[in-house]
Amino acid sequence: MPKTIMIVDDSATMRQMVSFTLLDAGYNVVEAQDGVDAVTKSGAQNVDLFLTDLNMPNLDGIQLTRRLRATPRYEFTPIVLLTTESQKERKMEGKAAGATGWIVKPFQTEQLLAVVKKVCP
Amino acid sequence: MDIAALQLKLRDSFRMEAADLLAELDSAMLELESRPQDATLLNRVFRAIHTIKGSGATAGFKEMAAFAHHVEELFDEARMERLTITPVMIDLTLQAKDLIGQLLDSDGPAALAPACHEVVEALAKFLPHDVATSCTDQTKLGEGTDSRQRHNIFFKPHAQVFFSGTDPVSLVDELRALGEATVTARMDGIPPLANMNPKQCYLAWEVALVSAQSVAKIKEIFLFVEDESEIRIERDLTPITGQSESDGPLSAFLNIAGQSLQAVEGFLSQLRGSTEHDGACCKNYLRILKTFLSAANRQGQQEPAALLGEDILLLEVAIAGNVMMSDQTKGNLADGHRKLAALIQSLRKNNRRENEPPPPSAPPPSMTPEPPPEATAAQQKETPRARPTVRVDQEKLDRLMRSAGELLVARNAFPLLAKRLTMEHGLSGVGKEVKDAGDHISHIAEDLQAAVLSIRMTPIRTVFQRFPRMVRDICRVQAKEAELLLEGEDTELDKTVIEQIADPLVHLVRNAVDHGIESPEARAQAGKPRSGKVTLKAYNKATNVIIEIHDDGAGMDPARLKQKALEKGLITPEAAAMLDDREALELIFLPGLTTAAKLTDISGRGVGMDVVRSNIRQLHGTTTLESKLGCGSKITITLPASLMVSKGILVEANREEYVFPMESVVQTVRLPRSQIRQHEQSYFTTFRNEVFPVLRLADHFAVNRRSVEIAWPEEVPIAIVETNRGRVAVAVDRFLGHVEVIVKAMGSDFAGITAFQGATIMGDGRVALVINPAGFFEPLIDPEKTFAP
Repeated sequence: MPKTIMIVDDSATMRQMVSFTLLDAGYNVVEAQDGVDAVTKSGAQNVDLFLTDLNMPNLDGIQLTRRLRATPRYEFTPIVLLTTESQKERKMEGKAAGATGWIVKPFQTEQLLAVVKKVCP
Repeated sequence: MDIAALQLKLRDSFRMEAADLLAELDSAMLELESRPQDATLLNRVFRAIHTIKGSGATAGFKEMAAFAHHVEELFDEARMERLTITPVMIDLTLQAKDLIGQLLDSDGPAALAPACHEVVEALAKFLPHDVATSCTDQTKLGEGTDSRQRHNIFFKPHAQVFFSGTDPVSLVDELRALGEATVTARMDGIPPLANMNPKQCYLAWEVALVSAQSVAKIKEIFLFVEDESEIRIERDLTPITGQSESDGPLSAFLNIAGQSLQAVEGFLSQLRGSTEHDGACCKNYLRILKTFLSAANRQGQQEPAALLGEDILLLEVAIAGNVMMSDQTKGNLADGHRKLAALIQSLRKNNRRENEPPPPSAPPPSMTPEPPPEATAAQQKETPRARPTVRVDQEKLDRLMRSAGELLVARNAFPLLAKRLTMEHGLSGVGKEVKDAGDHISHIAEDLQAAVLSIRMTPIRTVFQRFPRMVRDICRVQAKEAELLLEGEDTELDKTVIEQIADPLVHLVRNAVDHGIESPEARAQAGKPRSGKVTLKAYNKATNVIIEIHDDGAGMDPARLKQKALEKGLITPEAAAMLDDREALELIFLPGLTTAAKLTDISGRGVGMDVVRSNIRQLHGTTTLESKLGCGSKITITLPASLMVSKGILVEANREEYVFPMESVVQTVRLPRSQIRQHEQSYFTTFRNEVFPVLRLADHFAVNRRSVEIAWPEEVPIAIVETNRGRVAVAVDRFLGHVEVIVKAMGSDFAGITAFQGATIMGDGRVALVINPAGFFEPLIDPEKTFAP
């Protein structure tokens, strides 16, 4: 049974890039365009890994992380933040909210797969 | 999919996305000009540029991303309230935005490098030094050059590590990847099974690592867990054991919490008392909550975050929506506040208890109850949400539309078939069944057509969006003041119309500001407000969409227009003398007429109005003009909402059927023969004090060319048709009524024929040609004699 990964990003380009890469590697992929969308969709099916952007309208990556951690089903599910640069404060905020790790954008497909394999073996 | 193909696809999809983002940036910048400290706006700008940069880099636009980075820095500083946006910065950002657009369109970004560099230099002046250079510094990081060295690493994850989804073993595995590692797990923290909480981590690891990596690089692995975990990385061989840190800072945190609670109480009562939206109060409220939260996070307190998430959302929605809070929302905020107060209270108790020796079996601290589920659901409903959308290739949509059109035509076969079955084969039963089946398919076809049409409908917003910027730029160049008001941006038009209406509208709005709006001084002298007003308004009227461009500027002078037209030899003095004011205004639509005394680079060389009118006519629309000297001008464009189905008048000439597009027919009348007079080789008529040349439709087909004289019937059916060269009276044999037609192009073999727009298939399956008034009648009109609007 392939793992389901949710990509949460308001940029269609990012979602597409991540989706293609992960589908190609044999994962199930669910796309969400912002935090609220992610909350709704993650309620409808089980997600094994969240990849989320930080800056999004409605509910940002950090608020989303808090929401997910407050949901019993996703207490321990890895949440990886997609950040643009090594802004430590934002990462720390994300970590405090319960995120598992981060990937710095722009990343190559191999880097993405390496991180995904690490947190979602 | 291979990487190259993916990259190509990503580039395309990013170009589409970027177009939206750049438009968003544009409109946000203009709003920012009047509210440079609006936090929501600053965030919007930041997010747009941030996405452009991040996704752009992913899609392979490296130069563009590097360039966008500098703009992002500017707005990052601004939203952190470390810098205030000035008009100069807005100018720079708009320049940068244009450059980004060009970088995306061009294949060789090198040509734009000097322009980009200029903007970057200018931006750098506003940025604190460390920010401006951080980008280049980053590239130097992470290049550890130490030779192999022995490290002793101790790693004791905090007990709650699993709650962040982290598997500590994976971190240990990462250490192994750095070099030769000897890993020892320390299990002495594991309590007896009865006391063990399976959700907690009790393990610690000692790793002896021989690696060429720097300490910094090793530390990086633990970045996400280093605050709460115990991590030691040392180069000597001394064994390390650890003790957990004391909770000293908790008291300081509780102090902050107490102050925050007090402030929030104040805001709550202020909100309760106010009868309108109190943006400042909401913002301060939000700021306090956020400050408190970051303090809580530093303290490792996660409950406040869970509690306040909803409150923050509510406040953000209220601020973004700029609306007054409902009593229910206020109630929710008060609820959140009460729960937080309870939580702080219990933390305080714990703190006191912890500072004393703990009793052997202290009861667990009471946890704050979760917010009731129905409240959560209600709040989720309030969150504004974008509807999910699909981007579709235009070609696919066109194909769907063509097929729907074909289906509409093909259904016409059923009634004919039914008729033949009944009449020719005597099978009336089967005939009726075929007819019923046909009716059913017909309904479905109509539904399908309506659905396809609605897909093609696009809000005019996409066109209107560009105008605030344009008006602003013109005003800057000409030192004018003008405000652009947009109305009805949600009015929908067919996508093709939207694409083609943009250029004419650009012309008209430019004209309104350039020629219409006077200088602030002139306006003041005329007793008008210094700032002019241009209104761009769209709305639906019957099946049409009306677009109005209205300015309160100088208006047009009919006398001057007449004089101009005379000077240019566009009309004769006799014709000029006959024109009333309304007709004189119409002169502006004559090719080659420029009204501005001085040509400017804004409105160009008077190519405007005639081209505007003919472009709009190509969209089956009409243009009318009203203007009052000293008060302003108004141009009204009437467009069919959809191009696919249009209305027409079906006429008969020479036993053939033709369709006139409804928008080109001003009037239909039946004139007595006596009113049609002959003058040399041509005919003319006078109708309501206007003189029209009369053309007989039947004469202009080779089938039956007129020899010398026409034998007019007693009463002549005439359609007064509007063309770019004035109106003509077209005589037909018979009016057959109004029809709805789907105009189909006649195919490439007939592409050279301009007299017809295309053909349409009538309900009974016969084909009728649809006349293109411009192509059909204009070559037949002698412009000198007939210009009489």
